[in-house]
Amino acid sequence: MIVGGAPELRLPVLAASTAARASGVRPGQPLREAQQRCPGAAFVAADEAAVAHLREELLSRLNRLAPLVEVGDEVAWGDLTGRHAAHPDSTGWAVAVARCIQELLDDDDIAVGVASSRQVAEIAARQAGPRHIRRVAPGEEAAFLAPLPLSVLPLDQVVAARLAALGLDCVGAVANLSAADLQRQFGPMGMDLWHQTRGGDGREEWRPGHGLGIPDPLRQLGERMVLEGGTGDLEALRFAVHRSALDLGDRLRRHGCRAAAVTLVCELEDAEPSGLRIIPLQPPGSGAELWPVALELLAGLALTAPVTAVRLEVEGLRPGAGRQVDLWRGGDAAGEEIGGAASRLRARFGRTAVRSVELTVDPGDLPERRFRWTDPVAADAGGEGHGSRVPGVPTGLTSAGGTSEGSRGRAPEHRQAAPASGIPVAAMPLLRR
Amino acid sequence: MPTPLSEALATLRRRHGEAVIRSGDALGGVEAWPTGLPVLDHRLTPGGLPVGRVSLLAAAPGASGRLTLLQALVAIASRERTAVYLDLVGSLDPGFLADLGADLSALLVVRPPSGRWGEGFSMARSLVMAGAPWLAVALDSRSDLGWEHRLSTLVESVAAHRAVCLVSAAAPLPPALGYASSLTLECVADGWEEAHGDVLGLRTRLTVVKSKVSMPGETAALLLRYPRPFAAAEAVGRPAVVDLTATRKVLDVPAVASDIPAVAGWVLPASSVPASPTSPWSPPGAAIPSCAPSP
Repeated sequence: MIVGGAPELRLPVLAASTAARASGVRPGQPLREAQQRCPGAAFVAADEAAVAHLREELLSRLNRLAPLVEVGDEVAWGDLTGRHAAHPDSTGWAVAVARCIQELLDDDDIAVGVASSRQVAEIAARQAGPRHIRRVAPGEEAAFLAPLPLSVLPLDQVVAARLAALGLDCVGAVANLSAADLQRQFGPMGMDLWHQTRGGDGREEWRPGHGLGIPDPLRQLGERMVLEGGTGDLEALRFAVHRSALDLGDRLRRHGCRAAAVTLVCELEDAEPSGLRIIPLQPPGSGAELWPVALELLAGLALTAPVTAVRLEVEGLRPGAGRQVDLWRGGDAAGEEIGGAASRLRARFGRTAVRSVELTVDPGDLPERRFRWTDPVAADAGGEGHGSRVPGVPTGLTSAGGTSEGSRGRAPEHRQAAPASGIPVAAMPLLRR
Repeated sequence: MPTPLSEALATLRRRHGEAVIRSGDALGGVEAWPTGLPVLDHRLTPGGLPVGRVSLLAAAPGASGRLTLLQALVAIASRERTAVYLDLVGSLDPGFLADLGADLSALLVVRPPSGRWGEGFSMARSLVMAGAPWLAVALDSRSDLGWEHRLSTLVESVAAHRAVCLVSAAAPLPPALGYASSLTLECVADGWEEAHGDVLGLRTRLTVVKSKVSMPGETAALLLRYPRPFAAAEAVGRPAVVDLTATRKVLDVPAVASDIPAVAGWVLPASSVPASPTSPWSPPGAAIPSCAPSP
């Protein structure tokens, strides 16, 4: 079904059903083109008065559940930041919103997506399909988008054609490009694309003048291994850390990411956890690269009690390098990499370890006043907490959660660490048959 | 008739591809970065400094011009690419670099907090692996322990990322440093260049004592002109490094190098043995006190 009017009219498509969308029909297309793409579709004219009335009714109902609500032609967004007294978690809250819409529209084909940005929430809802909920945890947006085709993003046709010509056919392939590469190739649209492939909403997020130093939301992954009873055996700890490093390295490799900082925390029996955080000189992207860093951390820990569990966490995840699109590199992209390496060195060794110089405008008489030291341009720093080594448990990390408390044994537990600040948003396609 | 060797080669090519075994002449020569200084590019190191290799500027302790020459080359490099200066001496004056014509915006100065060579090499390696194409390392005469393996990883990274690496070190050279170098240039001071009672620069003699990329043994006399920071008119248009050998040919002055102090452990080839016991620029007794011959 395609909403907009008869195909002979020179009007755009207002909405399309899932089956019509599968044939390539999109809102905004001319109705004639929609008919060519989906010849068997039923074309329905939109009743403007009814649509306006329905939209107002929907807004008034949704406002009881969420403070900020926006209703589009076939999608509605709600801001579920914070907590609702009747719905403690965001998923249950989103279900309540979906039921509200369902009752009003008397429609069962409602899908819900929960994510930290409008666009990812909408894509999640479309991926979930009718009567399903898809929740994308904060920090997992890029991983969620990576395997999807580029057509899920609102791309300019020229950009899409050029990316297709380069063999970049999924979101993950584009996400591995640096911002400089995309900006050089596509200008401001490239910056939009850079944000969208990482789960952002595009240009609304970045402000002119920020250039390439746009801070990414902090993303982190972790592995927690519970040991059988408390142990002080260094070999057992080494085994546990090694296993965690390999598992975490596999996850990093699957995500195509490198980590800017690594934290090792040992949970102690009847004592406060002991942990160390380090910013590695080379960001690890696999188990083989992560293991020496974890071993260095283990050697630096001062353990005062038997260890009950080992947590290995990585932060500041960035797309890994070494893809085919490195052929684009040169100029700014190379400078971005060098700036990132300099930032890591400064984060680890202190602000004076790597510096730039610039001549002063008014040097005066003394030779030492002719120049001043400056910080090199930071492309990717190691996230928060730029101390070289931060003893103790990082404040931004939480324990492994309820699932780990009852489980004992050697099996590593995959978990998502505490989410970065994000706004959960629910998106509900409002298709009516 | 196939021999065992040809069969083995065919098997390897079939299993691993044609590119795994190539004849030596198919590998090509060593790529070089032209310094823009004719005396280096055309005489001492044909083509310029080797890319993907470590080059070494060595001299006896004291005034020899090795750091000035290193900084002059850093200034040239910074005008065309990002240059990293690993300052383990702790004496870098950015104002002097600016006077030499460096583009300071393209320069990163690395100083390890501990001052240890190993830590500095690790930091430099990190930047080279990130794509820094030009690395200058200024080493002091005191070396610590445990840096050799970090130097070897730095050398590997320089080779893998096709970077130019120039190290300035004082004699006696640690064996690991001499071994890692593909090109070693020895700097020996020849005396001050003076005019009207002012020191204009330092005359130095540069000798290729080791080279894996060209024939060693070449010698050249240079004038390292000191830029005058507050007299821009003096500095503009005057090169910081002047080839005195060419000047000598024009003046038809015999090439001499009588007062070249020998650096311990290095033997100059016969072609560079001085032909005359006197030097037109550095009369006996006018030698720089801090540049005494090493034992």
